[in-house]
Amino acid sequence: MSLLDRTRTVLDQAVDVYRGTELGGRLAGMRERLDAPLRVALAGRVKAGKSTLLNALVGERLAPTGTGECTRIVTWYQDGTAYQVRALPLQGPPRPLRFTREDGVIDVDLGGLAAEDVGQLVVTWPARALRTVTLIDTPGIGSLSERTVARTWDLLVPDDEETPADAVVYLLRHLHAGDVEFLRAFHDTEVARPSPVNAIGVLSRADEIGVGRLDSMASARRIAARLGTDANVRRLVQSVVPVAGLLAETAVTLTEVEVARLRRIAALPVREAEDLLLSADRFVNTMPEVGLTTLEREALLGRFGLFGVRLTSTLLRRQVATTATGLSRELAERSGLTQLREIIGSLFLERRDVLKCRSALLALAETTRAYVRPGGDAVAAEVEELLASAHPFNELRVLSSLRAGWITGRPDVTAELERLIGGAGGSPCERLGLPPDAGPADQARTAAAALERWQRRAENPLTRYEMSVAATVAVRSCEGLLARLERTR
Amino acid sequence: MTESASQAVALVDLGLQACTAYDRPDAAARLAAARTALADPVTHVVVAGEFKQGKSSLVNALVGANVCTVDDDVATALPTYVRHGEKPEAILLADTGRDPIPLADVGKYVVEGTREARVTGVEVRIPRKLLAGGLVLVDTPGVGGLSSPHAAASLAAVSMADAVIFVTGAAQELTGSEVEFLRRARALCEVVICVLTKTDFYPAWRRVRELDEQHLAEHCPMPLLPVSSALRSRAIKVNDAALNAESGFTELVAFLTERIGGSAADRLAAGAVAEVAGLCDQLDAHFSAERAALADPAAAQRVVAELTAAKAQVEALKSAAAKWNQTLTDGVSDLMADIDHDLRTRVRAVLAEADTEIEAADPADTWPEMEPWLRSRLADELLTNYDLLRVRATELSERVGTHFLQASGGLLERLAVDDPARLATVDGFEHKIDLARMRVAKQAMVALKNAYGGALMFIILGSLVGVSLGPIGIGIGLVMGHRGLREEKKRQLQRRRAEARNAVRRYCDEVTFVAGKDSRDTLRRVQRQLRDHYSGLAEELNRSNAQALASASEAATRGRSDRDQRLKDVDAELARVRRLRERALAVLG
Repeated sequence: MSLLDRTRTVLDQAVDVYRGTELGGRLAGMRERLDAPLRVALAGRVKAGKSTLLNALVGERLAPTGTGECTRIVTWYQDGTAYQVRALPLQGPPRPLRFTREDGVIDVDLGGLAAEDVGQLVVTWPARALRTVTLIDTPGIGSLSERTVARTWDLLVPDDEETPADAVVYLLRHLHAGDVEFLRAFHDTEVARPSPVNAIGVLSRADEIGVGRLDSMASARRIAARLGTDANVRRLVQSVVPVAGLLAETAVTLTEVEVARLRRIAALPVREAEDLLLSADRFVNTMPEVGLTTLEREALLGRFGLFGVRLTSTLLRRQVATTATGLSRELAERSGLTQLREIIGSLFLERRDVLKCRSALLALAETTRAYVRPGGDAVAAEVEELLASAHPFNELRVLSSLRAGWITGRPDVTAELERLIGGAGGSPCERLGLPPDAGPADQARTAAAALERWQRRAENPLTRYEMSVAATVAVRSCEGLLARLERTR
Repeated sequence: MTESASQAVALVDLGLQACTAYDRPDAAARLAAARTALADPVTHVVVAGEFKQGKSSLVNALVGANVCTVDDDVATALPTYVRHGEKPEAILLADTGRDPIPLADVGKYVVEGTREARVTGVEVRIPRKLLAGGLVLVDTPGVGGLSSPHAAASLAAVSMADAVIFVTGAAQELTGSEVEFLRRARALCEVVICVLTKTDFYPAWRRVRELDEQHLAEHCPMPLLPVSSALRSRAIKVNDAALNAESGFTELVAFLTERIGGSAADRLAAGAVAEVAGLCDQLDAHFSAERAALADPAAAQRVVAELTAAKAQVEALKSAAAKWNQTLTDGVSDLMADIDHDLRTRVRAVLAEADTEIEAADPADTWPEMEPWLRSRLADELLTNYDLLRVRATELSERVGTHFLQASGGLLERLAVDDPARLATVDGFEHKIDLARMRVAKQAMVALKNAYGGALMFIILGSLVGVSLGPIGIGIGLVMGHRGLREEKKRQLQRRRAEARNAVRRYCDEVTFVAGKDSRDTLRRVQRQLRDHYSGLAEELNRSNAQALASASEAATRGRSDRDQRLKDVDAELARVRRLRERALAVLG
């Protein structure tokens, strides 16, 4: 019986036990949630670019973005059959809201409700990207208005036991590693048990790091790689990727008109283009011969940023991309969006059942402890059994122990261990460190070799206790891989 | 050299001649020191701000050379002092001395990650017109939030600077902690300006400037200059004046040379001129006494008697039992006790907070955050403690100065009591009081600036953190869960909490120990400086008085013709001294 089935069974059992109490509804909700898309929250400090990144991930400009503080209410973006926006007020039943779209952006009319009284907004939007994942946009931590801060806290560190999000994407702006502010960006995880199994870090606004130089993204990648090895960051997130949010958002919503305008800049001789793009002011005000109005230029800056204009005009001039589609793909790649999507895919989506079961079981464990009912003991025992014995959870535990530095060993050994238990992604090839197109025979051979290696390590009396326990988990993972290959053959 | 500075130099030279003529080597030493300071004025301008706001780029763009390392990732970790030199060179400043290093190696030392212990900074000298006036630009490590150890170090540096350039990027408006830093910096330093950088990159910089101006107007009014280091660097490279103007640096350079450089030179000049005027007062008193004795032989006896009485008084002023000296001794020991008590109270509060924090969460989770938190909380408290020390020491210095003046000021007046002409110049009289006040205030400032050697104390504090919880007790045994896991977890948690509490205690003890020693040393230095200064002054008074007494006694024994001759001489000397004094007052304005 799979983990998902077992979790479902326990939840059914719990629903029976708590039927007729105020918890019945909540447990039924948990049960439904198991079959709903994975919930991923975007968190980080104010102005880190959360809404911009959300738009990039959805592929549409839905969430409002701008210079001031934009997101004041926690907003859920979920898939559905009709376009609608609902408000869940702190008091009273949910109510539908009217909204308009301006330039794609959803402008919600709160209909007489004050922003402080709205617990959350739920935007239902038929979009392909939302079918596998529900995205949650949050007001920033460290916002000037205390109330908005409290909201983000409620979401990530809820007063009651259920964590609304299954996984979290943290947006970090580039800061000093020893910076208090930097660590505070993670503060919310501290109480919700920091866990590198359900969080990834995004070095946001990556284009600003090199102040818009063409090699800014290379710098950003270097920095992200360094952050990814920092001990404090490692124990909180699985991996750090750089993303130039604005460019990513523009990449997936690029229009032909914009490309045509950029072509005019690309047509300039290199020296003149350099002079024109020396500063934002120069770009807007000089060289009327380019044939773009001030408004058009400002619009371009607003969509691409100075870095984006520099990059795209260079790409067009060098004919790296010639069509809007090609440019869109190139920009998605260069802005880091493609890599982020891949990472979300391999670290979150492939593991979504485990993550969802984990959320559900942790919540259930808290519930049975807090509210005692006849028959609750049996449920609690079953939950603990599941949490303690299911292999995917053991993998997650070894992973967090590795990340926290509790399991130590030679670097190549720990790296292999981390990979085998799914630290770099759950697919067999990722686990075995093979190229994605490796054939089943190759996979089977590598898996068998790994199995033998780790078996020896587990049984070797000189292996440290922690490592030998971890090794038995790795052995189990190898066996699982081999069984899976056997089935598919 | 500014106009006031050259006038001041001329005056000080006259004063030095007077010292030789009237045999006053004691006063000459003071004037010579003032003369040296005038010839080589040093103005420290500290460039401060949060991480990655473009501080080093700003300094580079200002001097038009890559003297400060700019890197996308690593930030400045050591202060860099950029000053004028005949040829480019770099010097490593360490506790142990100054080591010349190749210019190309500056980056290696300055950026984080390559820091050697005991190295406190790097000095870079390059030939630049902008710096020739004695301007020293200090590029500092980023602040990193107001309550971080770096902020404390920056504020300590600010308290000793002549001016502060606060750098904030155009990416977003000033944050709460930036505004708070500016507010505190303003309290410590007279000239603070805010510079908005990276205006070339952010199209919305005008909006950010507006917002920043509102914040500044509301919390701490000061000028805000938008600049673009990238444009300036390019303008220098291609020698484009229009681009230079567009970069906004012309205003910044004007501000630096005129407002900051100029005002510092003016302050120095005023100080030097005040020294000359003080010398004139002493000489005036001396000749007036002699003149009184010469003009009226009947009164001579009285003048001599008065001067003899004054002599006793001056000697009392010199002695350890003098009121100012007692005020100083008592004040410093009181202050030491108070500062120490304040420090302990603060550390205790932090300890209590830490205990609550540890009790509330699992140290295994929170420790990585706990450590910087503890460090920054302590740094914040230490800074407040140092603020208290600064304010109280300044008060003490003023009190000592007032007591000294009360005792000595009477002397000066009494020496001149028989001279109606002197009392008639009421203007001059008032000026004298002003000058005296000025000297007291200045003394307090000088004493503290010289005394506070612990500018880098907070950074040293950083390296003190050797506290660790050891291998955290949550072993892999828990990785494989089993029943009864909760109880085991609870036991482990208790142990971790106890370990964390002990670690925090040890660290706080260490900090109290080091910080306590540092503030005691600072106070002792203040004490020594003040004592030396006022003893020196008393010695000068003594000498001046002794000369007056000798001249007056001699006057009483002179023959009639001899006396007339001398009277004429003395009148001429008096006129000369007063002319000098008037010139000095004219320069002071």
